[in-house]
Amino acid sequence: MEKEIDKNEVTQPEEDLNPGIDRTLNDNKNNGPEINSTNTSGMKQKGSSNFLRYLLIVFISLLTFVLLIVFVLYLVPGLQEISSVSKSKISGNNELKRDAAYKNQIGLLSKDIQRLSRKYNTFTSGQSYIVINTTDNKFSLYKNKVLVREGICSSGANKILQTKKKTYLFMTPKGKFSITGKRKHPYWHRSDWDFIEQGLPVPPKDDPSRWEEGVLGDYALDLVDGYMIHGTIYKRLMGMPVTHGCVRLLDEDLEVVFSTLNIGSKVFIF
Amino acid sequence: MEAETRKKISYLLIVFIIVIIVVIASVVYYSLMEMRSPAKKMAEISAKYGIANYEKRKLPKNIISDSTFLSLFKEDAYLQSRVLMAETDSVYLTINLSERVINIEISGVVVHSTPITEFEASKLITDGDKFTITSLLSVPLTIVSDTSSIAKVPFIMKIAPKDTSEFKPDAIPDTAFYEPVNYIFETDRGIKIIVYQSEEIKQGDSKDRFMFDLRHRLINTLAAMKDIIEFKVPEYQPFIKIKIPSADAKIIYRAIPKHGQIAVYL
Repeated sequence: MEKEIDKNEVTQPEEDLNPGIDRTLNDNKNNGPEINSTNTSGMKQKGSSNFLRYLLIVFISLLTFVLLIVFVLYLVPGLQEISSVSKSKISGNNELKRDAAYKNQIGLLSKDIQRLSRKYNTFTSGQSYIVINTTDNKFSLYKNKVLVREGICSSGANKILQTKKKTYLFMTPKGKFSITGKRKHPYWHRSDWDFIEQGLPVPPKDDPSRWEEGVLGDYALDLVDGYMIHGTIYKRLMGMPVTHGCVRLLDEDLEVVFSTLNIGSKVFIF
Repeated sequence: MEAETRKKISYLLIVFIIVIIVVIASVVYYSLMEMRSPAKKMAEISAKYGIANYEKRKLPKNIISDSTFLSLFKEDAYLQSRVLMAETDSVYLTINLSERVINIEISGVVVHSTPITEFEASKLITDGDKFTITSLLSVPLTIVSDTSSIAKVPFIMKIAPKDTSEFKPDAIPDTAFYEPVNYIFETDRGIKIIVYQSEEIKQGDSKDRFMFDLRHRLINTLAAMKDIIEFKVPEYQPFIKIKIPSADAKIIYRAIPKHGQIAVYL
């Protein structure tokens, strides 16, 4: 179909042969290349100038857009701060200082500060306490508010163990705790999760296989809900978050902590 | 043909000019509304925490601009906040801008202390009415939400093995793992505590901070635009921007509970 149309277009001028027209055509043919090159170069120039113009418009538009964003995101908040609020005046008026009501207010405030300071100081007891940093896995032991020992420890791995029935979360609790018990040569009563984690069948609660000796080190200090401060056999993992929530210490550190802290001593975990 | 093209161009030009005028007008309107927001916030704070709320104490005239009174009032407010927080067993934060230090405290015991490398605060906080601002800070700020570049708790998920053959020991944690620490605490009284790590430990930390800041600014701007479209003065959020070492910033973020409390001393 396309070919047929092409043929018609080509053959048509030959059928209507006219000398006049033919001459003109020939003339045009002779002059053709000159006229065409002038037109093409003009067109090219016009095209390139148009392209540059468009490029400039696009560039200016983009620049305006970026400047607007910078203005809105950075300059307006800056202007907000400048315009913010007028600076409040602080003075030391001597006349006011002689006023009885003023003196009364100052007296009340001073008393309140003393009362609050006393109250605040009662929170910091002179007792021994231990501070555990779970992010850096470090501990600091204090006696009479003086640092007596610091070192590395291991805290909760922040692991979630998922079974079909239950989800276990292994992380060290944060906040204020107390030592609720102290044990030498402690035995570990393996929890259900220890068996589940290893793909072992969970034995009954009183099964002898639940009791394990030596894994907690020489000492254990009980906190709450089964959490403890104890020793470890996995010494190469010290300073890392790898436990099931308990705090592990190295043998020598544990010995000092055990002898320094008493039942009721505070444990601050953060 | 040429006339038609000219007509088309002039039509486009008119549209372009209209668009420019609309954009400029919007930006000017936006800027004006944004600039009005701190004053509106200050008025709100004054109504809630200003001198009018202390009528019972019968404070003498001009006392709220007296330096001795203000310094004692500030001390009292800070102590009140700390005592309130110390009465709980939770971890809390005290920011002392005057001494340039941030403390993590539990029940009145400072368990971690960090020097502030650099800080910046809203003019509303630094230059606003001292009595009102101190009164606002006399009760601890409670965190309502936070945005951070690190996870609050880096949880690891593990599916329990069916039997011993499926058991795989845990991988040893990568203690050398590093990530830039930047975060924002939004508090119940509208004050934002923005914490950035002060040092550039790895290449690209500055870029990360810039992107974090940009995202924060974008969220703020979009929220402000939403208010402005409804012809409302946008909500201004006073801020305290603090730069501290990366390791300390991480400790603070991980230590403080999701809805933890903060006391600020100016």
